[in-house]
This record gives sequence, structure tokens and C-alpha cells, in this order.
Amino acid sequence: MSCDCKNVNSDLSLIEETLQKYASDEGNLITILQNAQEIYGYLPVDVIYHVAERVGVSPARVMGVATFYAQFSLKPIGKYLVMLCQGTACHVNGSERILRAISEELGIADGETTDDGLFTIKCVACLGCCSLSPVMMINDDTYGSLTPEKAVSIVRALKAKEA
Amino acid sequence: MSVNITINGIAVTGNDGDTILKIASENGIEIPTLCHHESVKLYGACGLCVVEAQGVGKLLRACSTVATDGMVINTESERVIKARKIALELLMSDHEGDCKGPCTLECPAGTDCQGYVKQIALGNDREAVRIIKDKLPLPASIGRVCPHPCETACRRGLVEQPISIAYLKAFAADNDMKSDDPFRPEMDEKTGKTVAIIGGGPAGLSAAYYLAVKGHSITVYDAMPKMGGMLRYGIPEYRLPKKVLDAEIAQIAELGVDMRNNVKIGRDISFDEIRSSHDAVLIAIGAWNSMATRCKGEELDGVYGGIDFLREVSLGERHEIGENVAIVGGGNTAMDACRTAVRLGAKNVYVIYRRTQAEMPAEEIEIKEAKEEGVVFKFLTNPAEIIGENGKVKAVKLQIMELGEPDASGRRSPVPVEDEFETIEVDAVIAAIGQRVNPTGFESVELNQRGIIKADAASFKTNIEGVFAAGDAVNNGAGIAIAAIAEANKAALAIDGYLHGIDISYRPEYVSRRVVSEKDFADREKIARQEMPHRSAEDRRRDFAEINLGFTDEQARNEAKRCLECGCHDYAQCSLIRHANRYPIAPDRLSGAKHTCEVEQKLVCIERNQGKCILCGLCVRTCEEVAKKGILGLVGRGFPTVVKPEFNNPETIRGCADCLKCVEVCPTGSLKIIKK
Amino acid sequence: MKIVIGQGSCGIAAGAAKVYKALEGINTGAFELGSTGCIGMCFLEPIADIYDGDVLVKRLVHVDEKDAERIAKAVCENDLDSISDLFITDDDASFLSQQTRIALRHCGIIDPTKLEDYTAIDGYRALKKALCEMTPEEVIDEIKTSGLAGRGGAGFPTWFKWNAARQSVGDRKFMICNADEGDPGAFMDRAVIESDPHTLIEGMLIGAYAIGASEAIVYVRAEYPLAIINLKRAIEQARENNLLGENILGTGFSCEMRIKAGAGAFVCGEETALIESLEGKRGMPRLKPPFPAQKGYNQYPSNINNVETFANVAWIILNGGEKFAQMGTPDSKGTKVFALTGKIKKGGLVEIPMGMTLREVIFDIGGGIRDDAEFKAVQMGGPSGGCIPADKLDTIIDYKALGATGAIMGSGGMVVMDQTTCMVDVARFFLDFTAKESCGKCVHCRLGTKRMLEILERIVAGEGKEGDIELLEELCEGIKDGALCGLGQTAPNPVLTTIRYFRNEYEAHIKEKKCPAKACASLLRYSIDADKCIGCTACAKKCPVAAISGSVKQTHSIDAQKCIRCGQCASVCRFGAVTVC
Repeated sequence: MSCDCKNVNSDLSLIEETLQKYASDEGNLITILQNAQEIYGYLPVDVIYHVAERVGVSPARVMGVATFYAQFSLKPIGKYLVMLCQGTACHVNGSERILRAISEELGIADGETTDDGLFTIKCVACLGCCSLSPVMMINDDTYGSLTPEKAVSIVRALKAKEA
Repeated sequence: MSVNITINGIAVTGNDGDTILKIASENGIEIPTLCHHESVKLYGACGLCVVEAQGVGKLLRACSTVATDGMVINTESERVIKARKIALELLMSDHEGDCKGPCTLECPAGTDCQGYVKQIALGNDREAVRIIKDKLPLPASIGRVCPHPCETACRRGLVEQPISIAYLKAFAADNDMKSDDPFRPEMDEKTGKTVAIIGGGPAGLSAAYYLAVKGHSITVYDAMPKMGGMLRYGIPEYRLPKKVLDAEIAQIAELGVDMRNNVKIGRDISFDEIRSSHDAVLIAIGAWNSMATRCKGEELDGVYGGIDFLREVSLGERHEIGENVAIVGGGNTAMDACRTAVRLGAKNVYVIYRRTQAEMPAEEIEIKEAKEEGVVFKFLTNPAEIIGENGKVKAVKLQIMELGEPDASGRRSPVPVEDEFETIEVDAVIAAIGQRVNPTGFESVELNQRGIIKADAASFKTNIEGVFAAGDAVNNGAGIAIAAIAEANKAALAIDGYLHGIDISYRPEYVSRRVVSEKDFADREKIARQEMPHRSAEDRRRDFAEINLGFTDEQARNEAKRCLECGCHDYAQCSLIRHANRYPIAPDRLSGAKHTCEVEQKLVCIERNQGKCILCGLCVRTCEEVAKKGILGLVGRGFPTVVKPEFNNPETIRGCADCLKCVEVCPTGSLKIIKK
Repeated sequence: MKIVIGQGSCGIAAGAAKVYKALEGINTGAFELGSTGCIGMCFLEPIADIYDGDVLVKRLVHVDEKDAERIAKAVCENDLDSISDLFITDDDASFLSQQTRIALRHCGIIDPTKLEDYTAIDGYRALKKALCEMTPEEVIDEIKTSGLAGRGGAGFPTWFKWNAARQSVGDRKFMICNADEGDPGAFMDRAVIESDPHTLIEGMLIGAYAIGASEAIVYVRAEYPLAIINLKRAIEQARENNLLGENILGTGFSCEMRIKAGAGAFVCGEETALIESLEGKRGMPRLKPPFPAQKGYNQYPSNINNVETFANVAWIILNGGEKFAQMGTPDSKGTKVFALTGKIKKGGLVEIPMGMTLREVIFDIGGGIRDDAEFKAVQMGGPSGGCIPADKLDTIIDYKALGATGAIMGSGGMVVMDQTTCMVDVARFFLDFTAKESCGKCVHCRLGTKRMLEILERIVAGEGKEGDIELLEELCEGIKDGALCGLGQTAPNPVLTTIRYFRNEYEAHIKEKKCPAKACASLLRYSIDADKCIGCTACAKKCPVAAISGSVKQTHSIDAQKCIRCGQCASVCRFGAVTVC
């Protein structure tokens, strides 16, 4: 974990309400981090330290939790989070080709974010829409029965919307 | 309340609530574990402590399973061993580090080069000698003559040049001998057992030393007038002065070793007699016969064997060799012979070698110094015929050779160039092309197909009960002195075991090693190797006095300080390697991605090496539960998980009170104290 | 008349929400519009049901927002025949009629957002019965009679766990629901929570009463947003109606309930890891013993069951354990829900009585293999399970019988594979999953799954070595014996079963460097059949690496050195001239 805390200067007041509600019990750590990620889009290092202090645990504890669960990101994620389902049904029905097509289209690999900050690709565990496999979810919308062409056109449409 | 259980067939008792691990350890039964420590909560990560309980389908983790009355436990069943073996192989497959430095690993005797070089750097020559003599009782002699595979392996060579390990060894030994209080090993109590050692060369003397230290009564029988074997009769004075050798032999004699010279087996005493009058016998007779050239004219007067020639000179029986001398061969014996011929006054000394200099087995420094002394090297030639006149050598006809395809050993084999010959006038031909064992007098001992004494490669037992054999006379035949010493050490252990009624076989230990290249050391400051001060060629070719003048104190300390300390600081205390050597593991088959050997120094006086970490979590748990700091934590999930100190907040890092508790519990060398 | 749109996640993904919106837009009050959850016929989504009062008149399938107007018209004018093209076929309808639904009994029927829908059927009657007429011991006895076993995968008798938690002494006790459905290929828990959240609440409350817990927690995957919304709403509704909280229904029994959203870690499906996660820690399994029933959440006695297990509880209490136990086999009682997916014609949720054969589920209910291809294997139990081959299709669904094949019942993932699925690649897929999801605590799992994955990766890349199969087998045995938790101990199963049944495929990869299923890209060789190629240049134009040469109307050829085996040439060729071997 390289040191980039000097470069971050998050508005810690945004998380205050969450902390008021949950900080008294360290069992709520995951919930607090989920709220933080919702608020900041990711988990900035200074927020992690702030949470640690308020919950009364060591920053190492918080960092340990933040890096354990797939949901958390320590880097800012794109406006559109493209979640590609890697479930068994999707795999059997060609999810790898979808990933390849989208990666090629966006020029980024799994876990990366485009330079313009618009897209992040994330391979995720089963989304539970197996009958529509292969499936991807972009923010809250689910797209099923994908082909590489269909997936690329969905991404292109979003690109066009932002252009 | 107490519970009664059976562990490995032994009935033991523990307190109610005790774990199997606790009861076992209280009864002296070791169940290996790497992640368990009394001071922290149960964790169950390493999986090494698994045991089999009768009637239970799954293996149980001994660290967490509370014993119940009547349990029947097997801590070393086949299934348990299999599971542990896999665990250790998996751990080792992601353990990036060097248990020992390449110097030690490449030394046939496994001398702790890094250890003694460090002591020399610190100025503790006596301590250095103590470390050396753990494996090698003749450091002043061997330090002078050893072809030092340690230096060939030395990683300092990837920076500029290897450490001068051999000469440093001689330096420390010389100093120690000169001191008022030379090192003397602690002797075990007398056992009353007797061992006869036949042959007083490096192997025999080493075995004598180690068996004497173990408390046995040792008699060394040697056919020659003085002890030392090939060190005395095969190595010229200018490389190894006899007074140095004498002093070291005297140190061994001082341990109470009975040394009897001029006793030849089969002539002065029969082998059976020796066998029947001792509890054990070690045959270390070496290989004293020169190999013949097998070319026409080799029966002529003036044709000598290399070691025969050297022996005659050493014994003072020969003072001249003629004006023109040809030495056949490219090894160190050939170099000793040609340079000895120079010192006997020969004007033209030729070395006949059928390959080129690149293929010569002799040491580079020997070739260089021989050239300086005027020796002429005739590469790519091979004697076709030794031409005589009146039964005496007059010339040698040389077949011109060229290099063909590489042979099994990877060396390009020489092939004759048709009809191309050269003839040189010589007075003597010395064939230094190899040595042979002479087993005369040992008729009852089984030999192998090559006429060499047959001994078990691991136990050194011969076909005769209580008779062991080691060194040049055994299995693979002649090699370098330190290899013979290495065998003698292992044989000594086997003999000691035998005398105590235990069957001991040598098993090579498993060690973790890194593969490195120049790139890994690119950031190191370049410090040139100290040149050994020596006499000029002009000066030295006139007499047999020692060529090397020895390091000055300053030179030696500076040289020793160049050591990169490749071997792990924690090797002696490492639980991982200790457990890994309990079972025959082969982690290489599982090789794959590894955590890299990144060294961090985030905590004030602790250095962390991620490559050596096995993620047992003891440091993390100790920091949290014992030190109550929580500065260390696990970061990430699955294989990429790492232990991190506070990533980037200097304030919290300062919170580390340097209690060092994490270092204490670390089962490997991942954590290291760098200052206190 | 009432039009009810199925709006489970699958339905929404297929466009159900758009259909609903379109209907809502044109509805002037002439018909009633409603929502329901997931009926489980995913292959027919979006689905619209037309009700007359409580009677289902017609089920429309594959509806599109463009159909909204004529559906509305047909309903208003009572002229359903005008939309007969949307009617479900008898064959498709048999997908449901061959099932026996208990856990899914309300799914796709009631509106999950309405408590009254639930109570109108039989909702919370079982809770009332348990609290008013039964002692906790009697509840446990009833569950014991039913033979209900944990539906999360391991199949441990539910009554036994409840009893252990009941016997355990503690100031506080917790009833926990494991809704961290992580098995890639299973989604029955999501369907239950989304479509029938009150069933879960009711089942949990009955369980809480039985073990003496006053607090209940549902640990739900964060990837199930709709499930969380519906469950949250249902909890509030229950609380408002005194079905939850203090003095429930005036019986003196009190129980609170809350939701904890998981944060993405498969290992949290393991009960001790789930507890760690609930405590706000890294989800790393604990050593057992102590078991959760002794020391669970925050060291208090706790009981953890899976969603589907709880979904059966109210039914059992209402109908009696005896009736439940009448279904199934001597070893496995009741019904089991499966998520039937993969290369299957009719994919969706299937609930059948135990004892049915795999063949019946796959071919009779599921309609067989897509495109009438040849069945190769069915994967059951996800990363902890295994692949069952064609000659074992008559295996009955029963914990023991499935276990004997090397697979497991699992949580209900049933992924069907045909001849185009490479079994070595399937093993690699699962090991990739387990290696990524391994918590990293124990050596056998952290490094063992990683090493197995590396070996499988090299095999599918054509770099397999002689002895790799045996090495995999040895690793499998070691990991089974040495891993700390269920995730690690069962991680070798996908490898072991594929080696057991498809060893020849492994050997073909290793020895002949061939993938019999033609799925492993590194082992494929593309070439152009000169007899079929007409030189249209389509493939050459499509090739991303310019590996295809040839001029117009001339036979083209592929440069094997340049070819990256993306397969685009084969898909673009209209003459079937690109061959793969």
C-alpha cells in the first residue's frame, strides 16, 4: 500500500452522520465502510484513518477489513461500474469473450478504471441471473444474454451519452 | 480432573480441558506447529499439528482439540505425515529466502563460511576458528590449498568478485595458532570405545578429530613416515608449508589421538588384526597410485607418475628432474608437478593438455602463476608416443588435437587432427592424469567395478560389520581434500552412532534457496577483492618457500566486511526449516508464484522480509493481543495476503514501542532486529 | 382483471420493469396492475400473469414493452385470444406443474411488498401456532420429525443445531440467517428473499423461539440490492404489525431482527467466517470447536441456517413434520430447490421432492440440452461440488447418492454442460474462484488452491506435464485433510470429479496438447478448408491481427504463428470454411 495519504483531503464531515450512528460498536465496521464507499465512491486513506480513530480500533484493523472484501475499493472507481458476472453459468456460456470484448473496447483490464474516470471493469462473483447468462451489471442495471457485440454496443451507448 | 489418553502407543495423562498438543508436549512428544503460541488465542492456520484419532474420520488439529478420556492418538501416521508434508511443501513453495549462503551450500563439508567470515570481520578470529572447526579441523592447511567451491558460488561475484573465503580461513587459523589461547574443542566424556583410522590424510585426521571430541579413543595408522597424507606428500611446500600442517596435526594429536606412522596394512599389521582390536574401523587410505598414460614408451626410464613425483620431492628423495620436462594433464596435480619441476631447476617445462585452457580443471590462479614462472602450455596436444634412447626418455611425440562435440560432462571432447604431430625433446615425462586406489592389504573389503572400496553413500558402511570407509578411497574415487573431509565427518557421525548402537545415515538437509542474478545486486557499492600479497615469480621460482605472504589484519577485516550475508540470520532458530527437515519434502514440484523478497523497514528497529513470511499471523496477533498495539495487520485476501505494518502513517509507526515481541514469536526469519 | 408482472431480478434484467412502466403509462384504471416476485421460469421472462380475482386466467411470456398496448386492450376488452401469441405453451407450463413447491410456495404468486398478500394466504399462522400452542421443545421435535436438513450445502439436521443452541447457556442468543449466497450458479435464496421475504422472517422467528434467541440477524450478499430492499420493507411491516419486536402477538416472546449486508467474500458462507464478518472483522473462519451453538456471534450461543432452510419452517409447523417427511427418500426428506442453468433449454428455479433423478430434472423439467446438443455433465454444489457425467444421470437427488458421485447436494446450483464445455477448464474455473475467494488464513487453502490453479492453468494452456494429474490428486488429498474450513476442504472436489470422470480429457490436454471440447483457445488450430472457401475476404477483414491472407476469389489461409485464436474468422465465415481442431 503505497503512501498517498498526503494527496487525499477528503471531507470528513460527510461521514459524520454514519459515525454518529454506528461508531460506538466496532461490529459495525463493515457497515461504516459500506457507507463511506457510498459517500466517497471509494475508501480514501484519510477516511480509513478517521474511521479507525472514531471506532477506536487500529488503522491496520480497518485496512485489513477494507482489503478483505471485494466490495471495497481503495482507488476511485469510474462513473460506470461495469460488473461482469463470473458465475458458472456465465462462464459456460462465454463470459470470458464478453470480458475480452469490453476490455478491448475500453482499453482497460479487470479492476482498472479508464483515464477519463468513466468506466471501471470489475469481474464479480455470481450476480444470480444465471438463466440470462452471460450477464453484466452496469451500476444498477442488469444486461443479460450478452454477446460480445451486444456488450460493446451497450458500453458505446454510455460513452456516447457522456460525450 | 484428569484425562487419560494414548499417544503413539504411550499412555499419558493430562488435565481436563487440555489440548492434545499440550498433553503431547508435556510428555515430550513433539507435534509440529508454526502458528500456535501460548501467549495468543488459537488460530489454526498452519495445519501442521494435525493428528489422527482412532475412530475419527477427519484429521484433528492438535492445537485446538481438547483431549477426551480414552482418546487414541497417532501423531505420525502415514496420513498425518502426508498432510504435513503437503503443508510444508506448500509453505516452502512460497518461502523466498536463503536458509544458508551459497558458499556454505557449495562447500562439500558445509562449513559455515558466512558465519566465520562475519567473525573475522568483527576481529574474532578465535570464534571464527571455532565455527570452522565445527566442520573442518585443518583450516590453516585447507584454507591454503582448497579450490574453494565456496568462492565460485559466492554472490559477491555478482557484484564484482567473490569474497576471498579460503584465504580468510587460513588467516584466522594462523592467528589463532599464534595466539596464547588457541581454540580447543570441548571434549565429551570418554566412552571407552576404540576406533582405528587407517590413513592419516585429511579424511582420516578429520574423522580422528571428531571421533576424539565425541570421547572415543582413536588410533590413526599411516604407512608414511609422517601424518598428513596427500596434504603433505601431494601438495608442494610452496603452497602448503609443512610447518603449518605439522602444527595443525599437533593440535589433533593434543586431543589424545594416537598417531602411528610407518604402519602399512598387510605389511606391518593385518587388517583383520586391526579390525579385531577396535570397536570400529574407518578406512581412509586415499588414492595413491598414479594412472598410466597408456601410450607407447611409458615404461621408459624418466616417465613418472604425477603424485609419485611430488611424493619423492616431499620426502626429499628427489632433487632434480632434468632440463626439459613435460607434464601431461590439466589438473591441479599437473600444476603442482610443473611448478615443482621449475623449482628443481628444469629450464623448459611443458604442460601437455589435450583441450584448451578454458577446459582445464586446474585453478585459474595456479595456471596464471605457472605461466608467470615460465611454464609453457601446449594446449590441444596429447602424447602419442614417448620416444626413448637407451631405455631413457628422449622426446615425446604429440598428437595435435581439436575440440569436437561436447561430451556428457558438457566439455567439448578433443579429437585428433589427422596426421598432425609435433615432437619435443624432453628428459622426463610426468603423467598427472589421475589417481587410483591401491586396496592391497584390504582383501576382505568389497570393491566396486572400478576397483574402489565400496561403502554405503549415506552410512559409509562397508561390507564388513563395524568397518566404515570414506575419502578418496571410496565410491567415486579421488576428489578435492574438502570433499574427503566432508565424507569423513559424515562417516564419523555414523561411527559415533554405531558405537552407541544407533543406525545413522546421512540425509541431505532441505534448504530454501533463492535464484538471483546481477540485477538483484545492482545497487550495491563495488568494493574490489583484496589481493593476496605474494612473492614475485622471479623470486619464488628459485625455492620452495611459500608463495603467499598472507593478509594483513586490515586487509582481512576489510575483505571479510564485503560479505553480503546471504544466509538467513534466523536459520538456527527457524521452526519452518526444522519441521521441513523432519519429512522428505520436495517443494520444487509445486513451484509457482511467490511473494517477493521485499525488505521493509517501517517499524523503528525491525526489518520485515515479505518473502520469508508464512502468514502464520503470530506477529499480528501478538501485536494485538500481547502488546495491545495492533500496529501489524493482515492486508488483502487469499494468496496475495501480506502482513503490513502501518502503511503510511509515521505517527502510528512510532507507536511501536519496540517491544520486539513480534520478532520473538516469528517462526521464520521474516522479522529481524536491526538495532536495539 | 388484473395484470401481474414478475419483477424479480431476472425478470427486471429481461425487461419486466419496462413492461410494467409501459402498462402503468396506459392504464386509466380499466385494469388492475400488480407486481410479484420470481416464479422461477427465467427462460420465459418477462412474464405477465392475468388474474380474474384470485384465479390465474392466463400466463403471458416473453412480453415486451411494445406488447403493452395490445395486452391492455385484450384485458380490457376481455379478448385474450388476440394476444394468444404470448400465451405460455403447455410444454413450457409443464416446467412448473412437474414441481412440488414448499420453499418457493409463494414466489411469483404474492406481491412481496405487501404483508397483506402474505397473511392472506397463510402468512404468520405458523408463528402464531408455534408461539401460542407449542413449547420450544415441541417446535424442535416437529422439525426433527420433518427430517429437515440444512439446505446451504452440508445437509446437517436442522433440529440438532437448534437443540444444541437451545441447550447452550447464554445471556443472549442469536438466530442468524445465512443469505450470503455465493455459489456461482445458485440464486434460489435471492429469489426467496426478493419474492417472499415474510416467509424467511416467519421461519427465523419460529427458530428464534425454539432456541430461545431474542435477536435475529440476516446476513445478505451486497450484490442482492432488491432482496435487501424487499427484506428491509418486510421487517418494517412485521414490526409495525407486532410480528417482530417486543411481546410478539402478545405472547410475551420478543425478538428483534436486523439485516447485515455482506461485502463480497464467498468464504463468509462458512458459518464461523460469517460470524467474524458480522463482528466487523475479516471473514476468516475460526477453529471449531467451539461451535457457534456454544460460542458464536460475540461469543454468545448462535444458530445459523440458510434461507431455504428457514423457508421450509413455517410450512412444516403448519402442515406437520410428518407431511414433510413423507416426501423424499429415507435419507433426505422434503423438497430441494435448484437453480437449473447452463446449456439447458428451460433454465430457472426448480423445486422437486428429494428422490427424483437428475435425468428427470434436466430432461423432463428442464427440457433437455439447448440446441439439442449432447449432454456431457451437470455441475452440482458449485466450488465445493463436482461434475456428474452422463452415465450417472439416473442418480437420485439425495444427500448420500449425490455424495457418492463425488459431487454434493450443495446449495442448489445445477449447471448443465454439453460437449462444448471443456472439463479441465471447468475445474480451472472453479479453482480460480476458490483461489480468489480463499481467505488466506490456512496454508492448505491459501497455497494449495493457488498451486492447483497454476497446474490447471498450465494444462489448459498446453503446457501440462506428465505427472500433473497425479500431482493434482495428491494436492487434493492433502488439502481435503488439512484445510481449516469447508471452503478449503471441499475445494478439491471439482478437480477430483473431473479427473475421476474425464481423465481422458486431462490426458488429451497434457499428452496430445488437444482440447477435445475445442474450448481451450491455446490448444486450437484454425485453418481454412480450400474446398469451401470462395475467397470472399470476410475473414481476412475481420481478423484483428492480420493473420489471414489471400486475394479476392482465391482460397485464403491462416498464419498459425500470427493467429491469436479469437475465433472471429470462424464466426464471420458464411461458408463454414474455417475449421478448428
